Amino acid sequence: MDITRRGFFLISTGLLSSLIIKENAHAVEGRYATLVDITRCDGCSSEQIPKCVEACREQNRKRFPEPKKPILPYWPRKTYEDWSDRRDKIDTLTPYNWIFVQKATIEGRDIFIPRRCMHCDNPPCVRGCPFGALTKRPQGNSVINEGLCFGGAKCRDVCPWHIPQRQAGVGIYLHMLPKYAGGGVMYKCDLCKDRIEKGEEPACVVACRQRLKDNAVFTFGERRDIYGLAKQRKKKEGLYLYGDIQNGGTSTLYLSKVPFEAINRALIEKKDRFKMPVDVKNKIQTTFNPIGKAVLSMGFMGMAGAIVGAIISKRVHKGGDEDVRKD
Amino acid sequence: MSGRIKRHTIIEVLEHWVMAVSGIVLLFTGLGCLPLFKRYYIAEIPGFAWTGDFNTVTTVHYTASIFFLMVVVFHIFYHGIRKEFGLLPKKGDVKNGIRVVLAMIGIGKEPPSDKYLPEQRIAYVGIGIIILFLTVTGVIKILKNLEWIVLSPICESVNTMVHTLTGFLFMIAFIVHVAIVLLFKSNWPLLKSMFTGWIDEDYARHRHSIWYEKVKGKPEDKGISEIEVKETCREGGDTCQQK
Repeated sequence: MDITRRGFFLISTGLLSSLIIKENAHAVEGRYATLVDITRCDGCSSEQIPKCVEACREQNRKRFPEPKKPILPYWPRKTYEDWSDRRDKIDTLTPYNWIFVQKATIEGRDIFIPRRCMHCDNPPCVRGCPFGALTKRPQGNSVINEGLCFGGAKCRDVCPWHIPQRQAGVGIYLHMLPKYAGGGVMYKCDLCKDRIEKGEEPACVVACRQRLKDNAVFTFGERRDIYGLAKQRKKKEGLYLYGDIQNGGTSTLYLSKVPFEAINRALIEKKDRFKMPVDVKNKIQTTFNPIGKAVLSMGFMGMAGAIVGAIISKRVHKGGDEDVRKD
Repeated sequence: MSGRIKRHTIIEVLEHWVMAVSGIVLLFTGLGCLPLFKRYYIAEIPGFAWTGDFNTVTTVHYTASIFFLMVVVFHIFYHGIRKEFGLLPKKGDVKNGIRVVLAMIGIGKEPPSDKYLPEQRIAYVGIGIIILFLTVTGVIKILKNLEWIVLSPICESVNTMVHTLTGFLFMIAFIVHVAIVLLFKSNWPLLKSMFTGWIDEDYARHRHSIWYEKVKGKPEDKGISEIEVKETCREGGDTCQQK
C-alpha cells in the first residue's frame, strides 16, 4: 500500500514536472517589452501609409486569411464577420491589419497612438481560450494558433482592449460543424514571433526606426531595460506611463505628455472602437485566483476530512454493535 | 409489507449529490465558457443575462469547482482508506453489463447482481476516469493562472484542450447516466435510494440477489458490515413487525 502510494506520488510529480517549462526565467513576464513613445509619433503624416502599419502588413501578408465563400452565417444568427472585402482598411484593427495608428484630439492638439496587442503578462485571452489556441510565449508575446482557433471570439470579449479580430470562412471550424459552432479565426499582432525568436526586432519597430532614426517611436528590447527606460523618462520628463500596471502589467508601455485619462475620454467621445481605459483590473488576478486558492484549499480539506472520517468510522466499526441493526 | 435495506450511508448520499449539483453547475458554466450562450440567445432569456458575461460565468465555474474538487478528493481518500472497492469492475462485467442493459429493454433475463449492477461498475470507472482528467487538468489551469506553475506553450494548449474535450465526455456520460436512471422503470428504486439511502427489500432480493444473500445470510460479514437491515412499519400502524 505504501509503495503504491509512493509510486503514485512519484508518477504524479514526474508528470507534473514534465509539464512545467524548464527555462522559465522569463516565462511569466516575458523576455522582451516594447516602449511606444507617442510624444514622438506623427502618424507618418507625410507618408501614404504609416510605416509601422506598412511593415506589419508586409511581414504578415502570407498569413492573412483567404476565406472560403460563400460564408455561412453564425446560426441561429444571420450575421458573420467578413473583412476580406476591406483588406485595404488601415485605420482600425482587422484580420488584415494588426496594427493601426489611432488619432485623438485633446485641447485642439492631435495625438497619434500606434495600437496593437499589449501582450499582457497574465493574458485573459490566453487563459480563457477553451481550445488552447492561444499561448503565452517566453518572449512575452501572446500568439494565436490559426490551426486550432475556432473563432469563437472569446479572446476579444475578455481582452480589456478588444484587440483580436475575427474572419469567418477560414479555420478548423469549417471541418467540424460550420453552421452550428465556431466562427472563423481570430487574428492579432504576435509581435513578429518568428523574428523575435531569432533575436530580431518586430517589423514595425524596424520600420519606424528607419524613418525616424534616433527619434523612433518604438524601442524594443529586454523587458528590464525597457521598463527601466520608461520609468526613468517618466520621472525625468514628467511623462505619463501606460501599460505597466494595466491588466496586471503588459509587455507594451506607452509614454505620453497627456494623461491617459484624457486620451481615453477623447476616444470615448470620438466613439472609437478601441479605447485606452486606465483602470484595467486583471480579472484572473483579482477575481479568479482568490477562488482558485479556495478550490485548492478545499481539495486539501476534502483529503483531511476523508482521512479523519475513515479512521473514525473504522473505530466505530471495531466497536461492532452499531454495524448491523435489527430493530 | 417489505423490509428496507440500507444501500448508501449518509456520506455516500451527500457525496453523490454534492458532486451532481456542482457537476451540473460546472457543465452549464463550462458550456458558457465556450462562446455559446450569446450566440444561441441563452443570455437573452430573462434571468440568464449573466451567462453572456465570461467573467461571471468563469467565477461561477470556479466556485462550483470548490465543491467538486473537495468531493472528488474526499471520495478517493475516504473509500480508498476504507477499502470500499465494490464499484470497481469485476471479471465478466462487460458481458453481464450488456445482459443487464438488454434486460432493461425487455430482451433476455437479467443476471443476478451484487450490491452494484455490472454496468454500474463499468460506468463508474468510465465516469471516474473522465472526472479524474477533468479535475487534474482543471487544477493545472488554476495553478497556471495563479502562476504557481508555468507551462510551456504546447503543454498549456494540450491541458486546455484535454479539459474541454473531457468536459464534453462528462456531459455525454452525465446525460447517459441520468437517462438510464429515468427512462427505465427498473432503475427507479435506485434513484429513491440515492435520496434516502434505503432500498426496498423485495427489490434487493429480486435484482441484487447476491448482495441480498450476503446481507441476510451473513450480517456479521466484514464486507457488509455497514449494511443495516431494518424492518419497516406497517403503513399507518403503530407497531412494527420484525421482517
